[in-house]
Amino acid sequence: MQQAAGSSRPVPSLRRSQSRLTADSYCIHRIIEDPEWSLAAVPQLTELCLQHIVHNFTQNPILDRLLPEHQRKVLDRLPTGLPLTVTANLVSDEDYWKRCCTERWQVCDISGYGDSWKRMFFERHLESILKSFVPNTTDPNQVLELIPLCKDYVRKLEVDQFLPPLKVDPEEEADDTSDSGSDLGLGEVPVHHYDLGALVTALPYLEELHLTYGVKDCGMNFEWNLFKFTYQDCCNLAGAVKKCHKLKVFKLTRSNVDDNKTKLLVRSLLDHPSLVELNLSHNLIGDTGAQAVGKLINRSKLETLDLCNNKIHRTGAQALAQALAQNCTLTSLNLRLNYLGDEGGEAMGRALLANTTLKSIHLGSNMLSEPSAVLLSQVLAQNTTLTSINLSCNHIGPDGGKQLLEGLAGNKTLTEFDLRLAEVGQESEFLIGQMLWANRHAAQLAPQPQPPAEPL
Amino acid sequence: MGPNLNSNVRFHPNFSSPLPRQALGEDEEPKEEVEEEEEERRSHKEVEESQQRLAKLLFEGTQMVTNIQVAADSRETQRRAEEAELKQQRVKKLEDEAKFSAYEFEKIASKWALAEDMTVPQELWQLLNQQQQQCALLLEEKNKLIGELQQELKNKDEQYVQAMKKQSDDIHLLLERMEEQIRIMLKTYRHKLHHIEKAFEFERRELLDSNRKKWEEAIQAHNTKELEYLHARMRKVEEFEKQLNQLRVQDEEEYNSMKIQLENDVQNLERQLQQTKATYLLNQEKLEYNLLVLKKQDEENTIIRARQKRKINRLHSSLNNLRTKLDKQEKQFREENQSLAADCERITGQCKEVQKRMRHFAASDAEKFTEVWLMNEEEAKWLMRKALDADRIIHTQQLGLPWEQPRHWFLNNIGPLRRYKAKRMATKLAAEVLAGGTESQCPWHPCGTGKPSPSSVRAPSVSPFCLSCQGLDLGSQHLPVPSEPARILGSLGSSPGLRELLGFPWCSVQLKATGLFVTHEGQHPWGLRSGSLREKTRSAKEALQVRDSSKDGEYWEALAHIIPETTLKLWDALVAALEEY
Repeated sequence: MQQAAGSSRPVPSLRRSQSRLTADSYCIHRIIEDPEWSLAAVPQLTELCLQHIVHNFTQNPILDRLLPEHQRKVLDRLPTGLPLTVTANLVSDEDYWKRCCTERWQVCDISGYGDSWKRMFFERHLESILKSFVPNTTDPNQVLELIPLCKDYVRKLEVDQFLPPLKVDPEEEADDTSDSGSDLGLGEVPVHHYDLGALVTALPYLEELHLTYGVKDCGMNFEWNLFKFTYQDCCNLAGAVKKCHKLKVFKLTRSNVDDNKTKLLVRSLLDHPSLVELNLSHNLIGDTGAQAVGKLINRSKLETLDLCNNKIHRTGAQALAQALAQNCTLTSLNLRLNYLGDEGGEAMGRALLANTTLKSIHLGSNMLSEPSAVLLSQVLAQNTTLTSINLSCNHIGPDGGKQLLEGLAGNKTLTEFDLRLAEVGQESEFLIGQMLWANRHAAQLAPQPQPPAEPL
Repeated sequence: MGPNLNSNVRFHPNFSSPLPRQALGEDEEPKEEVEEEEEERRSHKEVEESQQRLAKLLFEGTQMVTNIQVAADSRETQRRAEEAELKQQRVKKLEDEAKFSAYEFEKIASKWALAEDMTVPQELWQLLNQQQQQCALLLEEKNKLIGELQQELKNKDEQYVQAMKKQSDDIHLLLERMEEQIRIMLKTYRHKLHHIEKAFEFERRELLDSNRKKWEEAIQAHNTKELEYLHARMRKVEEFEKQLNQLRVQDEEEYNSMKIQLENDVQNLERQLQQTKATYLLNQEKLEYNLLVLKKQDEENTIIRARQKRKINRLHSSLNNLRTKLDKQEKQFREENQSLAADCERITGQCKEVQKRMRHFAASDAEKFTEVWLMNEEEAKWLMRKALDADRIIHTQQLGLPWEQPRHWFLNNIGPLRRYKAKRMATKLAAEVLAGGTESQCPWHPCGTGKPSPSSVRAPSVSPFCLSCQGLDLGSQHLPVPSEPARILGSLGSSPGLRELLGFPWCSVQLKATGLFVTHEGQHPWGLRSGSLREKTRSAKEALQVRDSSKDGEYWEALAHIIPETTLKLWDALVAALEEY
């Protein structure tokens, strides 16, 4: 459409001028003798040429061979709707991509994209395509064709929706409206999502991968099937992640990842050369999955591990604790909303006595009670690296609170200690708060002034 | 719902009122820098305090916001616990039910075996009825359970909806709190900033006030001191004025006396000055005159010197010219000498040739001479005889006088006269020649007095050769002769004028000549050979060479005067008489 418009536009104008030239040539004489006529009214030839280049940019993209000032003019006039095959690798001008982004999306915050509009455009473009990709229906070339265009610019992929394939059975389509019937009916039908393998391995600079296998805004069309992360999907994903050597951050949240899938993923992530952060929160990981992750902790460069809102019980916690006792890279561990219990808490406490790298640990909502508090008070007395502990929503009790207070008496590094809804008693909480203030003040005066860390 | 609550939210309105507003966290750092310069200031304290309070505010606000999350977590755990309990109960119930129903079922199933044994239809019917009833019971129980579970599910759905509502309420609350916190934090930050600014301003004002006070004090102190100094100065001025007056009077007196004395001195000195001036003028005139004289002398001297110099230069140039000329001339003379030597040799050869020819011509001349002589003599004699005949006729016929044949010696002479002079000695000839040469001593002088006779000019160069030739003619009889020319040449060379004129070429000629004579003196090879040749023709040559022609005139005169004067007179008289006649 644009091509047609671009090519057709200059022609009539030429024709018009020619007709005018031929029709009243005597008028030209008048123009020359006209004292009011000035050269400024006539567009310059360069101007016309640039206009022509802009109009025919799709067929004949000339940019590199222009002078810088002309390049500037052309870039300013290029329409944002040009096909990406033309612009992707030719135009590197940020202003052009800024125009593209702001025209397409209302909210644009390039701070999350390395301050690059182009990167933002391509990442969001790719994400939008992946989000609306329907397996077996959408042409996979739609993605594959985009790869050569965007592979140099995509650093992060954040896909929070994967659509399941459309149901083959028309009868089941009708079931969309009914909530209950589809649960059983679709159980056997394998509904695999889009395989990221081909895409992810073709992006050489991919560093972050945030995935959620689920559907957003389904409203009353809810089906369990929409949120099914099949074993095949997991296999595909594991293979893709394994081939992605530059990956630093991998997040797979709210995707119903169970123990087997965790094991599968962990197996592919073992000895990964660059993975630093792993987030498997809001999944269904149980003890065996936790054991697998514990194994991963010591066979990778992981620094941040988030396993919040899973189903880890004491054996899983013990496995993680054992890994933590030996590990020397992990700095942050989140086990919020799990089922550690006191045995798991004690195991963690013992691990923290040996560990010297962990800075932040979140054990909120884990059914901990006094015995864990006793061990943690020892940890507070000994450990000098921990700066943040979260024990909120546990049943620690007033005695446990006193124990913790005693343990904290000798500690100078802890700045965050969340004991809300932990039933430790107001007095202990207040005193602990006082000590933390003192520690925080000392930390601020120290050479490394750190803003108060966000509570997890 | 968990992660959504994680967003960064800060504040709760409950905390806003009791908390004092303090400065903005970001503003603290620059402030702190300022404080470091002047420590322990009120603003410093203020800032520190506000920093702490703000941190606290932030912390508490954050706590307030995260409280929601924690509460949700807590609820969730509680729900989970309840759920777990309920689940356990449900499972237990189900298990119990399953056990019970299995037991019942087995009971029913076991009865089917009895049914096979049954033969009586009534019993069988009864049994079947019983079984049917029991099955219905079992089914009813199962259906009841299903209904209960469905009821539970419905309740759960409701609970889910409620939970959703609750969560959305929570989210709203969270948003509210977040916004509130942001608002209040902004407010407090602004407020605190204002406060701190005020504190700084106040401090500044105080500082200014104190400084101004100090300044004013200092100015006052300065002014009083200045006044004191002024007074002291006035006093001193008065004192000095008095002293000055005193001194002036004294000085005036001194000055007057001094003036008189000095005036006298001046007069004396003026007189002296006049005198010295007069002498000075005199001296000046003298000196000027002297100077003039000296200047003139000097000028003259310079002129003379210049002239001399010019003269020297000229002479130098002339000397150089002369030298070059001398060189040129020497060269020229050398060349000339060489050419002359060559000429000399050539001429010697020519001379010999000429001599040879001359001898030949002399011989032929002598013959011709005799022939001419004889012819002339014959003619003369014919004429004479005619005259004599005429005389005889006159005498005999006219006068009738007897005529006598005159007898003269020459009448009989036929041929040239044969009287020879005595042979002149070679020595004599040479002596004559040389005497002639010495008489004309400087024949070749450029400014010679007169032109030398050709013979005398040729004398010096020719004479040696003639001499040699004659010497050769004479043979070895006249050995001492060749030494003679050498001596003469030597004498010639010794005369300074001549030698000077002749220069080197002369000397070389002399030497050559001497050499030549020496060879003659020595062996005489050529002389001897030629001498023998000449012996044969000596007589003829002698006749040719030594012929004396002095008598020839007389002879011819005598021939002409064969008729004597008297006869001629006679004839004249006769002629006259005859005419008269």
